[in-house]
Amino acid sequence: MRIVLHLAEQTVREAMRRRFLNVILLFSIVMIGASSMFSQWAPGAELKMMLDTGLGFIRFFGMLMAVFIGAMLIPTEVETKTAYVLLSKPVTRWHFLLGKFLGAFATVGINVLIMGGVFVLVMFLKRGTFEAVPNLYSNLAYAVVLLACEMLVLLSITVMVSTIASWIFTSVFAFFVYFAGHVSASLKHLATPEYYESPLARGMIKVLYVVLPHFEDFDVREPIIVGDPLEWSIVSGTIGLGLLYAGIMITLGWLFFSEREV
Amino acid sequence: MASAIKTEGLTKYYGSLLRKPVVGVEDLTLDVKMGQVYGLVGPNGSGKTTTLKLLLGLIFPTRGTMTLLGRDVRDPASRQRVGFLPDGPYFYDHLNADELLSFYGGLFGLSGAELRKRSDELLEMVGMAGPERRRRIREYSKGMIQRVGVAQALINDPDVVLLDEPTAGLDPIGAMQIREIMFRLRDRGKTVFLCSHLLGEIERICDNVTILNEGCTVRQGAVQDLVEPGEGYMVEGREVDNEGEQAIRELADSIETGDGLLQAVASDQDKAVAIAQQISENGGEVVSLSRRRRTLEDIFIETIRGGRE
Amino acid sequence: MRTHRIIGVLIVITGLVGASSLHERIRFQRMVRQYDPPAPIEKIMQFSPTAVTGVIAGAILGGFRGPAANLLWLKMESYWHSDRWHDCLPVMRTVTWLDPHFVEAWRILGWHVMYNMTVETTDIDRQDMYLEAGVAYLKEGIAWNPHIYDLYWELGWSYFDKMDDFENAAKWLRAATEFEHPEYIERLIAHAYEKLPDIDKALDWYDYCLKRYPRDGTAIGATLTIRERYLASWRLLEQGDFHGAEAAVKHHLAMEPDDHIGRRLLATIYERMGDMQNALDQWDLLRATYALDSGAGRKVRQLKAELGIEETVRERQERLKKEQLQRLYERHLELHGAERGLGAPHGGH
Repeated sequence: MRIVLHLAEQTVREAMRRRFLNVILLFSIVMIGASSMFSQWAPGAELKMMLDTGLGFIRFFGMLMAVFIGAMLIPTEVETKTAYVLLSKPVTRWHFLLGKFLGAFATVGINVLIMGGVFVLVMFLKRGTFEAVPNLYSNLAYAVVLLACEMLVLLSITVMVSTIASWIFTSVFAFFVYFAGHVSASLKHLATPEYYESPLARGMIKVLYVVLPHFEDFDVREPIIVGDPLEWSIVSGTIGLGLLYAGIMITLGWLFFSEREV
Repeated sequence: MASAIKTEGLTKYYGSLLRKPVVGVEDLTLDVKMGQVYGLVGPNGSGKTTTLKLLLGLIFPTRGTMTLLGRDVRDPASRQRVGFLPDGPYFYDHLNADELLSFYGGLFGLSGAELRKRSDELLEMVGMAGPERRRRIREYSKGMIQRVGVAQALINDPDVVLLDEPTAGLDPIGAMQIREIMFRLRDRGKTVFLCSHLLGEIERICDNVTILNEGCTVRQGAVQDLVEPGEGYMVEGREVDNEGEQAIRELADSIETGDGLLQAVASDQDKAVAIAQQISENGGEVVSLSRRRRTLEDIFIETIRGGRE
Repeated sequence: MRTHRIIGVLIVITGLVGASSLHERIRFQRMVRQYDPPAPIEKIMQFSPTAVTGVIAGAILGGFRGPAANLLWLKMESYWHSDRWHDCLPVMRTVTWLDPHFVEAWRILGWHVMYNMTVETTDIDRQDMYLEAGVAYLKEGIAWNPHIYDLYWELGWSYFDKMDDFENAAKWLRAATEFEHPEYIERLIAHAYEKLPDIDKALDWYDYCLKRYPRDGTAIGATLTIRERYLASWRLLEQGDFHGAEAAVKHHLAMEPDDHIGRRLLATIYERMGDMQNALDQWDLLRATYALDSGAGRKVRQLKAELGIEETVRERQERLKKEQLQRLYERHLELHGAERGLGAPHGGH
């Protein structure tokens, strides 16, 4: 565990010194800060507009960070041969993968929390411009945590694929999975005789439904807008789901990486 | 004496089902004893780096066995007392030398004052103790990276050090410093496993050597046994005129001239003396007269050109 | 190592199955709490193609339904300001599918269909179709947003103002009072009962208004007016004295012949008496003299059908026109599938 945490710390430091990441974070903070301006376009729905814009930006920029950091994590080490020296130490493939992944998630998580903090601050400062709803700030806090969890899942998939593919392929694949994961609910409807008569086709769709992540589980806009308090049972269950899925992906990544020649 | 590195029938083929396999290394059997300085030499593509990567678990053998300090190389604990410097090393360029050593030292459980002391000593040893230690590695020259690389290979005070072309990119003084380090390691009882194509260096440093060609072992043994005294004498002279040169040709078995230096090989001592007298009488300067000796380079070229043993 | 790999594979497979099971439980909880709008595939054939550009489609697929709905809403507003009323409809509908908790979208959709689209046509049956559609949309919106007063109010007001269906108006307006709401809603409930007419309930609600706001001038005035004009007749009607009730209200109408609430009361008395012809005459008079009372027109048609009375020439022309439109509509369905403009509203109460 010591080695894993050591590698994670080094990964965070490396990521924080990367210019492109800092530029993305800065740009996202500016856009989130400006989200209150969009509310003027929809009188009567100011809160909804601000939420959609602010949370949307956090999700979008978080996704960019997760994909690009995750896609480059392992391939860069292998291509530049820094992995040679690292794996020549008493560092197993599992230590290496888990340490790098935890470091990457810490980086993405910190950035999502920063963006979330900025957004909550903006909402607080602009609280006079929209009609208040109950439980707004507590729900927002949960929403940000669940967004970070969503990025954890996306990052784990990206890292898993990066153990066997180049960073370009991994990035494209990760974006595809991200979109597919947001419409995975539709797959359940497709796996019915109404759409496909062939049992084989329906079976394949069901398998895809099981394997794909369900990113819509992490979206809690609706209760925030309505003002319903987010129940801890749902939040904790969703976080648990995210952790479980990420664990599965990293295990799969280890299975691939343990066989890979460096 | 215990073995530091041992391989038995080590073989690695590269390739896939669709392509004919390429031999990386084939049936390599080594036994490097503790405290030895062992050289692995061969032309480019002979399997030196493949062997190192197999020993460190970076790639996997097709067949054969390997142990490092008595442990199977698949056991990460086998690398606890091992240091490695790859050929053309690349390190995290956002770190400086201090941070790099701190990072690698941390992987071995080193920390705090002990780690700092160790880092200071190593940077001093490789000549990187000045202000450059706080500059980022991306600003270093190739030689500086090589020095830092040697330092990180020794951060855990290893019992076995694997070095791949350790003097590459270094100026003569830097190369000399690295050689001194290797001698110091040997004097401290460490085992050094050295891959290099600089045969003069290998001959000077190593106790034993294995010569590889196209993945196969062609010669193996103690350096002093391989580099035995040769037959005949060598006479070297300068400023020998044409007349003198003609006369020497009749006496010598073979003669080479170049850059004002004449080298004549004589089969016996009398002829060697006669050649030296000829040089002197013709107004030239006798540079040396010595027993002829085969170098490792001679053996290497002979072996590679002549095929396998 | 092989053992570790086998264990790893088993962990992955078991984990995926476990994760899927956990997801289904979370999905059920979310469905019960209405956290998720309908899945895109359910509505994919009914999204407005003119509105759903590639960018918005990407936003929808990328999990940015909210921003996609907002962008579409802006597009709708651009149609609105260009007087493209019909183009607004499919866009509004798409917005409600993308973001069912966008209350404003439901409210304006319902209002637009019931108010603006009905005046675009003179065909009574087509107008009725729009009104039914508007009611269905508002009910669907209430199903997605059951805990705020807004859409209950909108539906209740539509029944009251547009359809003169005071019974339903009162029902939905009363539902709105279950949540935090403006105080004028109670007054409107009372007014709805007054127009129904149900004088007892009207007085109860005005009484309730006065208890909350003792200085409510409208409630005070309405209470006095009702007691003076209709209470006596109502009491007699409730006691079953139809002729007495008729005489009482006729006495008032002799002095105030334009009082449409009084005339409604008289029509109600005749209906309860079983005198449908007289009831029809009263409703017909209301329809002719009070153009805003669309409920009267419906009552006339209903009673004529009950009485089997021959339609007037105008009514015959309207019927023929309706049949022709129906044939055109069926032909359109054959060629183009389900009507895209209004979609197929479903759900709600």
